[in-house]
Amino acid sequence: MKKTLAIFAAATLALGANAEDKIVIKGSDTLGAKMVPQLAEAYKEAGNEVNFEIAAEGSSTAFTHLQADPAGIGMSSRNIKDSEVETFTAKGMEIKDWTGAYDMIGVIVNEKNGVEALTLEQVEGIFTGDITDWSEVGGDAGPISVYTRNTSSGTYKSFQGMAMNKRDYGADTQKMAGNEQIAEEVAKNANGIGYVGLAYTEKDGIKTVKVDDVACEPESAADYPIARSLHYYTVKGKLSEAGAKFLAWATTDEKAAEIVERVGFIPAN
Amino acid sequence: MSSSENKEADGSSAEESGQFRNRGFKILGLSKQDLIRIFFGGNASVAIVVLVLICVFLAREAFMFFPDHHHDLKAYRQSGQEYVDFASDEIKAHTNLYSSLNIAYFAEVNRTAKTEDTILRAYRALMANLENVTAKTWGRFERDLDRLEDVEDDLSDAKEDLEELDPEAEDFAAKQQELNQEIESLSSEQSQLTTRVEELREKLKKEVDLVIDSEEVWNMGVGAEEPPAESKAKLREAVLLSASPEIDDEPEYITGLKAVSKEKKAKAAEELSDFKDTVKAMQASIRPLKSFQSELRSIASKNKSEIVSFSTAAGRKEAWEKGAQNAATEEERQRMAAEAEKVVIKEPDYAALNQPFYESLGKHAELIAPIEVEMAQLYAQIPSKKEVQTKSAKENLDRAAVFYERFENTVSKNREEIKEWRHDKPITVPESVTAFLFGRNWISNSSWHDFYGILPIFTGSFLISIIALTVAVPFAVSAAIYVNQLAPHREQNFIKPAIEFIEAIPSVVLGFFGILVFGETLRAVSQVEWLQWVPGFPMAERLTILNAGLLLAFMAIPTIFTLTEDALNNVPQAFTENSLAMGASKLQTVFRVVVPTAVSGVLAAILLGFGRIIGETMVVLLVAGNKIKIPDFTEGLGVIAQPAHTMTGIIAQELGEVDQGSLHWRALFMVGMVLFCISLLVNFAAQKVLKKLSKI
Repeated sequence: MKKTLAIFAAATLALGANAEDKIVIKGSDTLGAKMVPQLAEAYKEAGNEVNFEIAAEGSSTAFTHLQADPAGIGMSSRNIKDSEVETFTAKGMEIKDWTGAYDMIGVIVNEKNGVEALTLEQVEGIFTGDITDWSEVGGDAGPISVYTRNTSSGTYKSFQGMAMNKRDYGADTQKMAGNEQIAEEVAKNANGIGYVGLAYTEKDGIKTVKVDDVACEPESAADYPIARSLHYYTVKGKLSEAGAKFLAWATTDEKAAEIVERVGFIPAN
Repeated sequence: MSSSENKEADGSSAEESGQFRNRGFKILGLSKQDLIRIFFGGNASVAIVVLVLICVFLAREAFMFFPDHHHDLKAYRQSGQEYVDFASDEIKAHTNLYSSLNIAYFAEVNRTAKTEDTILRAYRALMANLENVTAKTWGRFERDLDRLEDVEDDLSDAKEDLEELDPEAEDFAAKQQELNQEIESLSSEQSQLTTRVEELREKLKKEVDLVIDSEEVWNMGVGAEEPPAESKAKLREAVLLSASPEIDDEPEYITGLKAVSKEKKAKAAEELSDFKDTVKAMQASIRPLKSFQSELRSIASKNKSEIVSFSTAAGRKEAWEKGAQNAATEEERQRMAAEAEKVVIKEPDYAALNQPFYESLGKHAELIAPIEVEMAQLYAQIPSKKEVQTKSAKENLDRAAVFYERFENTVSKNREEIKEWRHDKPITVPESVTAFLFGRNWISNSSWHDFYGILPIFTGSFLISIIALTVAVPFAVSAAIYVNQLAPHREQNFIKPAIEFIEAIPSVVLGFFGILVFGETLRAVSQVEWLQWVPGFPMAERLTILNAGLLLAFMAIPTIFTLTEDALNNVPQAFTENSLAMGASKLQTVFRVVVPTAVSGVLAAILLGFGRIIGETMVVLLVAGNKIKIPDFTEGLGVIAQPAHTMTGIIAQELGEVDQGSLHWRALFMVGMVLFCISLLVNFAAQKVLKKLSKI
């Protein structure tokens, strides 16, 4: 009993000591899966004495988190919605948007598929269900199996805006939980097509196709039609000092840019 | 501690029971027995209270859906989106028709180069397989090769810099030294990399030679055709050539095949140029309607956002006002108050918003009439089924016939309906209920309009459950009869725990098994030639209704098994003994006496098994394929090879990120409510059936 008490006391003490230098980051799993944890690691290695708490549970959680804890940082793979801005306003808070990195969404097919390139119009046709057979886009005959993210994903919405003219996904599309699952299904289905973030395009069994003759590679980011920015959101005037310092580092430092690139995104600066 | 107290109590009650009440310890006049009774009673009532709370919470959130949904449907009509979707439906029907003819055309063209295409496909498969098999070395080789190129670039850059150094400059010596050092280190890295690349190249060559004839590399993949036997030697050669790291170009054999294939297709296209022209003309004919629709679409979208903005205006104003109250500085407060001032709550003039649509009525009729005539002409020109040769072309011409009829019907139906369309035609609340219960579309997070119709996910859940029950019931019930009545004691002791152990497998583990092992195996088995009579085979997908149904059957077996066994146990021993005494054999006793007596218990077991299946989430989410569409029943029993989405799956998938209190959130609660009602009904039915049993 005494022992547990002692441990408990030590834990509270430790927490108390570091309370000031703790940075809480929550939100999108696109950012939070690899990029932000690795940035945090490198930031600590660079000699900054801070603790991180990172939770990646989807872009929307970034904003609920920020309301509860305005000193923290939210990460999101989509722009903040108007309705979300309103809820902040109601609490007298204003949101600040930082661009953390750029992400390209690669259209992937099975590596045995002969199709190497699609036009943006064909991509729209395939994902909306207007085009249903590979022979219509210059491949070997076979019904197209379309894999997409599920409706609550930020990528689902971004892709709709960038590649599908904001039209609805075809009823035949299959909704997968994550990038990993889409890559997995496409790798196992010779007639599959899907989209994943740049970081996932190197998986076995799949290949990206050129869209409008531009390959999905970081070098061609400027011309590639399906690219988006990834954001950090903070509350103006409420962000902790340590948090501000970290964000400034993460968005401008060269070392940070290197990490961003290593995990498959394109640095913002 | 409690046992010693009990002993004490027992002893005292035995000796002098009269004094027990006085001696027992009491709180607030309650004896220990009373307290225990209250404790257990309290626990039971907590469970009931929690259940009631859940029901109330669920019901409140769910039933708020209908007013919201009603509101949303009204906005859909008032914004004119409904009007625009008339044209969208026509375009959709046209696209389907055009697409099926296009597929038929390409099937005919590609037929001529089938051999070449098969070989090319095999080549791609071979290369992919080879790369997978030798992935480790291959990856290292390519990485080192890239690195070597980088180093060589850096080296030549450094050398250039060295030459360009200005000898007059102040820091010349320092810089020269620095560059020399850099060049030195780069050169040593270069030589290291060069040797490593050479080593890897040798290793890769050896590896490729080793595996090139293996079955793994020559596996063409599920459903793919084998290349013709005479091409295999050449293919092998070509693959070896492309796999050898020093050659970048495509082997001649492959380039040649590609050229031949292209040539043959071009020739076929020329012969079929009439067909192609017809299809192209069809595609062109719809363009005017498309641009017309896209114009109206942007108007309707604008209308919609105006209507939505009106419905949220009050909330926004309140938000700014509240923000102003909470503002930290005076300046901030004033800014927010000004913002609040800016929000105007004014109902849009719906008639004005919809004016463009009423005006476009004539234009729509004007556009669609010639399209209809042209399509009739063009459709008459397409080749008949006799004229085409491939199976795919024939099938797609059949599909085209169906789609053509559908296109005609859509156009003529819309012609009447579009005239009667009014933006202010009221929508009744029952309509919003039927739109949910019988709606054929579930489209959420749309940029156009969200539809919440439960039918696609309901049919998905239902089909999966039916398959699961069909498979699970015979297994579980016969296993229960065997174990309970016929099996020797030793077997009983083994089989029963084994079956019940299934229940201990976490469903997420089963889901992973379903994706990675079972789905893959099922798809491979479905390609086997002599199994092609099975409906739905060969399967293109590995995540299907069948896959999910079979896994759920496995999960339901222990439930049905255990409950059936209980029901059999409940049959009075006297029945069996009497039957045996009358001279009936053991089997006769089982099937004529025991099972018929227990039949209502067995039914209840099946019903509860059904409840277990329809409520299962993880497995269907992972394995059913998540396609939100009413399965295509025209394929008959083959429907089981399609992917589907389920009610439980959609809640799990979409509730995570949805805005609290939004229509989508409430729609998901409503789906939960439907599930809840189904479970309630099933349990109720099971209890009714069981009651019948206890009457014996």
